Amino acid sequence: MKRPVRLEPGQKLVLTANRLLDGRTVWWGADGTWDLHIGRASLLDAEDADAVLARVVAEAQRDGVVGVYDTAVQAAVPPEPVTVREKIRAHGPTVHPEFAVETDQ
Amino acid sequence: MSLPVGHYQYDRIDRDFLQARIAEFEGQVQRRLDGTLSEDEFKPLRLMNGLYLQLHAYMLRVAIPYGILDSRQLRRLGEIARRYDRDYGHFTTRQNIQFNWIRLEDTPAILRELAEVDMHAIQTSGNCIRNVTADEYAGAAADELVDPRVHAEILRQWSTLHPEFTFLPRKFKIAISGSPNDRVAARFHDIGILARPGEDGAPVFRIFVGGGLGRTPIIGEELFDSVREEHLLATLEAIVRVYNAHGRRDNIYKARIKILVQAIGVEAYREAVEAELAQMNLERYRLTPEAVAAIRSRFAVPLLEAPADADAVLAEQRRADPIFDRWVRSNTHVHRDPGHIIATISLKPAGGIPGDATSAQIGRLADLADAYSFGEIRITHLQNVVLGHVRKDRLRDLWLGLAEVGLAEANIGLIGDIVACPGLDYCALANARSIPIAQKLGARFADTALQAEIGALRINISGCINACGHHHAGHIGLLGVDKRGEEFFQLTVGGRAENGAAIGTILGAALPEDETVDAIARLVDCYLGRREGGETFLDTLTRLGHEPFREAAYETV
Amino acid sequence: MKLFELGERTAQVHDVLVTVTELADRDDARAVLLESADDPALVKPYLNRLELVVLRFPIFRDGRGFTQARELREYLRFSGEIRAEGHILPDQAAFLRRCGVDSVVLPKNGNGDPALWEKQLRQFPVAYQRSVLPERSVGPGLRVEEAS
Repeated sequence: MKRPVRLEPGQKLVLTANRLLDGRTVWWGADGTWDLHIGRASLLDAEDADAVLARVVAEAQRDGVVGVYDTAVQAAVPPEPVTVREKIRAHGPTVHPEFAVETDQ
Repeated sequence: MSLPVGHYQYDRIDRDFLQARIAEFEGQVQRRLDGTLSEDEFKPLRLMNGLYLQLHAYMLRVAIPYGILDSRQLRRLGEIARRYDRDYGHFTTRQNIQFNWIRLEDTPAILRELAEVDMHAIQTSGNCIRNVTADEYAGAAADELVDPRVHAEILRQWSTLHPEFTFLPRKFKIAISGSPNDRVAARFHDIGILARPGEDGAPVFRIFVGGGLGRTPIIGEELFDSVREEHLLATLEAIVRVYNAHGRRDNIYKARIKILVQAIGVEAYREAVEAELAQMNLERYRLTPEAVAAIRSRFAVPLLEAPADADAVLAEQRRADPIFDRWVRSNTHVHRDPGHIIATISLKPAGGIPGDATSAQIGRLADLADAYSFGEIRITHLQNVVLGHVRKDRLRDLWLGLAEVGLAEANIGLIGDIVACPGLDYCALANARSIPIAQKLGARFADTALQAEIGALRINISGCINACGHHHAGHIGLLGVDKRGEEFFQLTVGGRAENGAAIGTILGAALPEDETVDAIARLVDCYLGRREGGETFLDTLTRLGHEPFREAAYETV
Repeated sequence: MKLFELGERTAQVHDVLVTVTELADRDDARAVLLESADDPALVKPYLNRLELVVLRFPIFRDGRGFTQARELREYLRFSGEIRAEGHILPDQAAFLRRCGVDSVVLPKNGNGDPALWEKQLRQFPVAYQRSVLPERSVGPGLRVEEAS
């Protein structure tokens, strides 16, 4: 579900989706691939995001992803989502630290 | 093979049907993968088979019809958790179980494993008639008038792939009870059914319609007082037909039957249902005594035999062990047979995740059910587990067995028995996390003596307005809301689902997540400080009104 | 327009297809189109001349057409052809047939593959509730199969 995003200074947009086959949260990288780790997400400026999003949405079926949308992040290394929801999508459920995305292979 | 106690035994015809359903779903998955089905088309089809796409993975909700399992089925659920998920399952507020880390490509294989033990995920989601829920003490409670499970099974079968009612305006939930003490929240369902014995021996049914929680909580209204058994299916067909034709489809928040009933009034709804019935060929829809008897014959009845001194043995054990005695006081219920007792096993360990069970715990529960309760297990809408027929002189052994796997928490009906939806840690619809609040509250009130002192107090937590945590029905309810990406919680008090159903009243502005637990602790302190005699929280609230509680909740230090 | 027959009845092509409101002024009309919000009882005065009722599904999730079909069969005793068109899926074939629909206008995309519709019609050997079709019991309880 896309939420309206107003970028604050220091924020960028990233594209995210879920993989069709296993449902895992993925992030769109500059090389056009989808990755489990937000650290490899491509950071977009607000003015470019719509065009990139449209292109990536059109390729979603071929790329095996579902529900592509953009979300705001703090443009750090690695980027950190702004909302609690996207933080949880990026890192895993807060109630199961053993399932953190960072420890996934 | 002997029949299972407490639920319908499938035969070859039922098993062939399940295999056909799996083949159908497998074809749908294939068409989704090759692009023939769009995600917008596939989503309702997968939901009708219990498969959601959540934040981190797919979630599969497996049906537990009227909340009853046999030990073989429960063991299989544990195996699925181990093999296809991350070694645990989550029991829901609708007596089902959810697995949170499922892969779409594994789903047909999981469904086949379920079908081997006569289980499925049919209609656990989607805009169709959902899994029918029933009294968790069915067939065991001393106060029961009619065992509702035979009719719950009839409704399960009737609603399965119903050709007319599979694309309703919105989801449709039915609950049935046969006790004067409503343990199914009948008036918070799209249709609530209360069965009682009729003059000719066959049951008659009181039918409520248009109740529900969610965005617009409404208490169901009585549509009919006494529907005869032979007309039960015709009446339900007519009720759902009126809804399918006239329920709103332009706004999903106004699409439930409760909105239609409120819009036209229950009298007009009744007239519309009667107009349908007048045109229907009632003979064609008749539920015959033969059909009821045939389905009843697929249920085994437990042979309840207990030694004459069973009651005395239990009494002596309680005297000798105050910790056991406390568990018996909170976690058991009177059985219709004096030598037996109903035991509720809490899935609410202090600081734990309400309703979660590991595959090891699930396997152990299956063993204990075999040893102590005819292999029968019930899942409650409060996310606990019930063993329905435990011999009183063996209750302590059961309790010791539970303690070995951390399932002997003595908090049923108390403040630690928190109901919570999965919330934002998993759910794609949620606005806030429910589980961490439940864990903090559970830890805050971990002391079982304190819980007993506080007495009957139910806390319900929902992570969004869809109200899967039934917050409107909690004595204290918490609703998670999103304020610019941050979690806040709105507090309600005075809700109840049991007899005298009421919707909780909002106390005031939503609180930031990190202030919520303290605010609830102040509410509880306010009650403890001002209660009189043996008052429960609800009693004190009723006597004093909301104001002192509002002041306590919002008092800033 | 490709038609698919869900049962025995041969689908008929009608050149004149009118809406319910037009029906009164068109004595020549033998076929009527019902939108999902239309009350099937509106066609009651014209039943003796109607040969086809087309139910339009605006989206496959809008299930009002299933109730419309049953009302046409069960309440109005309509014995002509009932057809579904619009956004429908092969996954709905048996539901449509069991509610009294005889034919569908096949979708123009992958959902219009007649083999998918054929397969779906034969997917389930039994059902757990009565439909408008002639049926007989299978084993004890509620289960029925089509009586052919």
